[in-house]
Amino acid sequence: MSRGTRNGHRAVIAGVATSDYPRLPEMSEHAVHGQAADRALADAGLTMADVDGFASTGFFPMYATGVAEYLGLHPTYYDETNAGGASFEVLVEHAAYAIECGAAEVVLITYGSIQLSQMGRRLGTGGGGGAGFAPGPAIYDALWGNTLVGSYALAARRHMHQFGTTPEQLASVAVTMRQHAASNPQAQEREPITVEDVVSSRLVADPLHKLDCCVISDGGGACVVTTAERAADLRKTPIHILGAAHSTTHHMNISAMPDLTVTPAAQCGPIAFARAGISPADVDVAQLYDSFTITVVLTVEDLGFCPKGEGGAFVENGGLGLGGRLPTNTDGGGLSACHPGMRGMFLIVEAVRQLRGEGGATQVPDAKIAVAHGTGGMLSTGATLILGQEAP
Amino acid sequence: MNMRWFPDEMPVPGVNAETNGWWEAAARHRLVVQRCTACDQTRHPPGPICPRCRSTASQWSDLPGTGSVFTYTVVRQAFIPSLADHLPYIVIAVELDQGGGARMVSNLIDIDPFDVSIGMRVDVVWEDMGPQLAVPRFRPATGAASGSATGSTTGSATGTDAKGAHA
Repeated sequence: MSRGTRNGHRAVIAGVATSDYPRLPEMSEHAVHGQAADRALADAGLTMADVDGFASTGFFPMYATGVAEYLGLHPTYYDETNAGGASFEVLVEHAAYAIECGAAEVVLITYGSIQLSQMGRRLGTGGGGGAGFAPGPAIYDALWGNTLVGSYALAARRHMHQFGTTPEQLASVAVTMRQHAASNPQAQEREPITVEDVVSSRLVADPLHKLDCCVISDGGGACVVTTAERAADLRKTPIHILGAAHSTTHHMNISAMPDLTVTPAAQCGPIAFARAGISPADVDVAQLYDSFTITVVLTVEDLGFCPKGEGGAFVENGGLGLGGRLPTNTDGGGLSACHPGMRGMFLIVEAVRQLRGEGGATQVPDAKIAVAHGTGGMLSTGATLILGQEAP
Repeated sequence: MNMRWFPDEMPVPGVNAETNGWWEAAARHRLVVQRCTACDQTRHPPGPICPRCRSTASQWSDLPGTGSVFTYTVVRQAFIPSLADHLPYIVIAVELDQGGGARMVSNLIDIDPFDVSIGMRVDVVWEDMGPQLAVPRFRPATGAASGSATGSTTGSATGTDAKGAHA
C-alpha cells in the first residue's frame, strides 16, 4: 500500500479461489480450507512449498495454527486476527504490511466453514441455539432474548425512524442480490424474487423479514498475497492492494454502539480511500458484507457512496445492480449465494475476479477499481480493502 | 469466579467483579447505572475502567426507572428455545432517564407489538426469577412517575399476539 513500502515491495493478490459451496455434508472444516488453498495456489501458479506466511481465523484460539498443521505448513509469518465478518479483509491488510516490510513473501489466507451442515439451519440470524452460558457482557443482550438478527433489526428500525428508510428499500437489496445469484450456478438461492416477496416473507425480527437475512451455508475460499515482483512471473494478472483500513466501535452489545445508524465503516472507509488516493466515485464495483439488507444500506452511506440517510434511495430500483449506481455483490452475496458465517473472503475473491475480467455473466464492464468491505459482530467491526487493476 | 443463577433453559449471566454490583442491585429492584466517580461518565454494560478518563473508581447510581424507547424490534422467531412459547416478544434499547446517555437492552411488555413506537415513555417493572435474581423489563409509562415499581410480574415477556405477519 502507498503508506507502507519500506523495503520497496508492493503487495498484490496473485491467486484466489472459492471452495465448493453451499452444501458440503461430506467435508470437514479443514478439508474446506484445504480445497480452497490448493485452488488458490493453482490459480496463482504456486505450490504449498512457496508459502512462507499463513493467515486464517475461526471460532477458537490458535485456529490458524491448527489449519497450518493440517495444510503441512510451517510458516514464519502467521495471523489469526478475528473481526467476525470483517476478518479476512483485516488478514489481507496485515498480510500486505508483512509483504511490504519484507516479513513474508507469499502469504496464503484461507477460510473454511461447514456451518450449514453442523447447525442444520438456513437463516443467518445468529441464534446459536440459544441456551447456555452467556460470557461477560453478552448477557446484557441475551437475557432479554436479543440475538444477532435482533441487533441488526434494532439498527434498521432506528435508521427507518431517523431517515424514513422503508422496508421496500431494504428489500430491494435482497432482490438485486438474487438477480446476481441467478447467474452464479453455485448460489444457494437462485429463484428470482420481488420486493413484494421480501416484504411479505415471514418477519424474523421486525423490521427484518426472512428474505432480509443471509443464507447459512457451507463453504470457504482462499487468496494468495505476494510481492508485485514475485507476481510478475505468475499465472494470473496480479491485483494491486491500493489501500486498506479497519475499525471497531463496540463489541457484542448493540446498546454500546455509539450511534445505531453509523457503523465502523464511517471510520475505516475514508482512511482506506485516502491511503489508496482515490474517492468513492472512482469505484467500479463493490463487494459489501450483506449479512442483512440493512448492513448494505448502512455500508454504502458510511463508505461515502451517498450521504448518511440516503442509503435507502441509493439501493432501490436496481441501484446495486449491473448498470446501477454501484454494482454490488456480483456473485449474489451472502443474501443469496453463500454465507458460511464469516463471508469476508468471498468479497475478496469476487472483487479480484471482477478486476481480472473473470466475472462471467455479472462482469462489470471495464472494472478497474473494486472495494471489498467486511462487517462483523453486531455492526461492531469494519474493514475496507481497495483493489485495483493497476499499480498505485 | 462465575456463578450460575439462571435455569439451563435460558442464557445465564457470568457474574463477575464488574457486573456483580449491578445484579445485586437488581435483586433488590434497584435499577442502577455504573457511574465514574472521577468524571461522572456512565457506562453500560458495566466495565472495570472509565472509557473516558481511565479511572477505575465507580459507583452504582440509582435511576428513577423511567426512560424512552430508543429503538425496538419484535422478535417472531425463537432462537432461544425456551422463549418459543413467548413469541412474539419485544426487544427494546431504552434510553434511561438520568442515565447520562446510557442505553440498555430490555423487553417491552404489556403492549401490542403494533403499538410500539420510538420515543415512547416506559417504566421499569421487575421480574423475580430466583431468590438472588430479578430482571428489569419495561412497560408503557402510566403517566405517573412510577420509578421503582415493586412486586413481580408473571414470567411472560409476551405482548398481545400479533395478527399475522405484516410488511
